[in-house]
Formats: sequence, C-alpha cells, structure tokens
Amino acid sequence: MIERYHPFRHQLHQSGSRELQIFSILAQSFFQPFTLKDNLMVILTALTAGSGLGFNRAMLFLVDGDRLKGEFWLGPASPEEAASLWQILSTHEIGYAEIIDYNRKLLLDENNPLVQKIKRVSFPLHAPQPSLPALAASSREIIHVRDAFNEPLVDPHFLELINVDEFLCIPLLSPDDIFGEIILDNAITRQPIKAQDIELASLCGLTAGNYIYITKLQQRIVEMKKQAALGEMAMFVTHQLRNPLVIIGGFVDQLLSPDLDEKKKMRNLRIIKEEIARLEQIMNRLTRFFRIEIREKVPVNLREIFKITVETVKPLIKSTRINLETEVEPGLSHVFSDPVYLGEALRNLVENSLEALKDWGLVRLRAFRENEEWIVISVEDNGPGIPEFLKDKIFEAFTSTKEKGLGLGLAYVKRFMEASGGFIRVESQEGRGTIIKLYFKAG
Amino acid sequence: MKKKKRILVVEDEKNLCLLYREELRKEGYEVVATTDSLRALELIKKRDFDLIITDIRMPVKDGLELIADIMAIKRNIPVIINTAYQSYRHDFMTWAAEAYLIKSASLDELKAKIKELIG
Repeated sequence: MIERYHPFRHQLHQSGSRELQIFSILAQSFFQPFTLKDNLMVILTALTAGSGLGFNRAMLFLVDGDRLKGEFWLGPASPEEAASLWQILSTHEIGYAEIIDYNRKLLLDENNPLVQKIKRVSFPLHAPQPSLPALAASSREIIHVRDAFNEPLVDPHFLELINVDEFLCIPLLSPDDIFGEIILDNAITRQPIKAQDIELASLCGLTAGNYIYITKLQQRIVEMKKQAALGEMAMFVTHQLRNPLVIIGGFVDQLLSPDLDEKKKMRNLRIIKEEIARLEQIMNRLTRFFRIEIREKVPVNLREIFKITVETVKPLIKSTRINLETEVEPGLSHVFSDPVYLGEALRNLVENSLEALKDWGLVRLRAFRENEEWIVISVEDNGPGIPEFLKDKIFEAFTSTKEKGLGLGLAYVKRFMEASGGFIRVESQEGRGTIIKLYFKAG
Repeated sequence: MKKKKRILVVEDEKNLCLLYREELRKEGYEVVATTDSLRALELIKKRDFDLIITDIRMPVKDGLELIADIMAIKRNIPVIINTAYQSYRHDFMTWAAEAYLIKSASLDELKAKIKELIG
C-alpha cells in the first residue's frame, strides 16, 4: 500500500510545533515565484510574525562590496504599533501570504521610519578591529549581545540605531562566502533571548544563506549561458565572414599581378562585387534577427497569406515532384499577427520543408483551431524528419547544418512568434516527416 | 617533360573553387575542382590524384565523411583539410588528413603545404 501527499502542506497537523510550521513556510516559499529579497523577507517575517520565534524585530544587512549594508527592518516601531499589528496577525484568517504581502508594502513605504533608518547605514566588513554588527559576519559566528550599552565591541552608531540592550547577530553564509547578517531583538516585549530562540534563528540564518547561495548560482548560470551563446554567435559570424573575405582577398591579389588580362580583370571585379553583396546580406540578416519588434497586430487573412506563400516558393518546386497543399479549417478566416513577419516565417518554414524533401514529396500548409484559446498554422512535410540529436538545437540561433545557411531560420521564426505572444512547436519522426506548428492567440 | 602533379579541390563555394583552380594551376599543378562532394568521390574512383584538398562543411556529404570514403578506396592519397572552422581540428576523422588549414585571404600557407607534401 502506498499513500501520496502533495509536497505543499497548507495546514500542518494541529500537534505540529510552531517551529515546524515556520520551517514548513520557509521551505515552501522557495517554490513560490518570489525574488531573492521576497524570500529573505519571508524568513524575517517568520522570525518576527506575531510572537513568532519570540523576536519582535528583525534587521537584514546584505554584503555590498566590502561593506555590510542595511536592507530591511521588519517589526513594529512602537509598542502601540506592535499591539495593533500583532492583533491583526493573530487572527486565524490571515495566512503567511497576507503577512508577506503586508510586509512587502511596509518595506516599500518610504515613510516607514524603520526602513528610512536602516537604508542609511552601512558598516565596513574588514576593518582592522571590526565591531558589531560587522564582527558576526566577518568572524562567521553567531553573536548574542547582552548589556549592549556597556559593550565596547558594539559600534556606537549601530547602538544608537537599534537602541536596545540585548540583540542577536546571525551571519548569512555559504561555505566560501559571506552574504549578510540578520539582527534580531525584543525591543517591545523586552523578553530575554532564550537558548532555544538562538538555535532556531541560526537555522533560519542557514536557510537564508542557502537561498542567497542558490540564487547567486542561478544568476551565474544564466550569465554563463548568455556568454556561451554570445561566444557561439561571434564564432559563427566569423566563419560566415571568412569565405567571402578569402574570395575577395584572392581575386584582389590576382588583380594586382601585372599579367592578368582585361577579361579576367572584369570577371574578378564582378566576383568581388558579388561577395561584397553577400557580406552585406549576412550583416542585414543578423541585424534583422536582433531587431524583431512587433508593433501592431492586424487580422491576417489565412487563405490570402497561404496563397502568397505558395506563389513565392513556386519557382523552387517547378522542376520537382513536390506537391504543395493548403487547407484552412472551415469557419476560420484570419489570425492576429504581423503580416510581413508571418509571411517571412511561412516562407522560411516551407523552404526548410522543400530542402528536406529534395525533389519528391508533400508539403502541407494548414490552419486550424487547436482549442478555444489557440489557432495553429502548421507546415508539414513527409521528408526524412529531424535527426534525434538535432531536435533540441533546431530553435537555437546559429546552429545550421547547411553550409550557406546562417542558422537563423527557425530561431528567427521562434523569436517572431514569441514577440507576438504566441509560440512554436515541432513534431518530427525520423523517416516520417516534420510538422512545425505556430500557435496564435484566438480572438 | 616531367608529368604534372594532379590535385583535386573539393569546395562548395563556387568562387573559391575557381580561385583555387586558377592559383594552383599557376603553381604548375594540374587541378580538378568540384563544388559537389559526391562528384568528388566519383572522380577519385575513376582517376588518380596526387593530393586532395577538401572543405569540411558542405551539403550532402561533408569533408570528414569524404575523407572516410577516400580512406576506404585509396588509402594513401594525402589530404589537406581547408576550412573556415577551427572546431573540427580535434574531430576523430581529422587525424587521417595530412594537414588542417584555416582558410585565409592569402594562399601562401596552402601553397607551401602543397609543395611540402607533393613537391
């Protein structure tokens, strides 16, 4: 026998401890579409909401260069505010989503006195004799401060800001980095900080460190992917430019030799002109690729655009045994799109199909309703299909298998579809054929 | 008179094909050039060549496949790979070629390599 549970538990079992509930919220918030700062706010919220773990206020500092810089300060500014806030928070109807929402508004409020104060402070991380709060981060230790007003290690400016005699400093760490620090206190209730509170807060600190670590890794991966794509693009462009340059160089050399006859001189000049035109074409295609912009979508008549597409590619199938068919679902007359880009996209796709078929086969252009939401234009052929190893790559720019192709065809169509609020899908079976489907929003 | 050495050039760029043919003829070689790698294979079967110069990225049959075919038919013809791409340098089929050159606007390197291989 097996039992299945959804990983997200909206309500923990009644007997679950408050601590367990808090960790459940922290773990789940990671699955929400939150930004890093939202996630950190969730942690601070968990530490301070209601009586929470027993902390009244939480400050967040993040490392910025070689300084620890104030980011958030959550909690009531006065006992009166605390009373009303905690009253709201203790009602059963309010869940963490609402609290997070409330806190987000609080932090965005420029008139919030705690936010104003915290945003103005920063402390050097690597001073020769670091004081608190920076000391906890730089020494990678949790530091519990009591009798702060008589403690020489507490920075006097910080003490003026926090104005409380007991607080807890939790560093936010990864194995090889320092990300920031959380400061917790009980300025309102004046409750002493207990050993158990410190333990739980330190676990929250570790979770926060993990969040930041993972977020930074993700950012680095995105950055690396971008760089790799850029590198690939640069390499591809270099290759594309090389052939025309070699040809121009070679024929110019011939022109420079004194014994070249007039006829060949003219021929060389003509070839050079051709190659320069090709260079220009490569540049234009690249420029266009990076500049796709859909300004206005208009109703595009499907039968009309199919007819135009067939007309444009007709010369290509003249001496072949390729049949080109079009079919529009009865009752369907148009899609909303940019007619110029759409025309180019269809021509592109049909040309790909023709190339795959070589000189025998069937290409079918169809328009139909996939469901209430989407209208599909499909380009289908019964050619050899796309090899398995290429399937993941066909929409990437600059991955042409054709020597002369810029590898922008499908990437271009994909960019256009996405820019116009739709998407593109491919279905292909080796030996059976390929269907490319363009999805347009209906209505 | 000494018999001219015969070179086969396989290059799908029409103009480049023409350039190589003319330039290598000037160096005193007999040059057969084709833009079609399948045609190249037929030529290799029918005639004897002292050297083959091939591009890699070509439609239908690429240069590395062509080298594999040449190895199967006439193992000892030297091959020069002449391509715009660095990235095939470590392809396992590249070891079968005598030289791997990157296309350049100056043909000096190509000419020197040919001289080195077949005189």
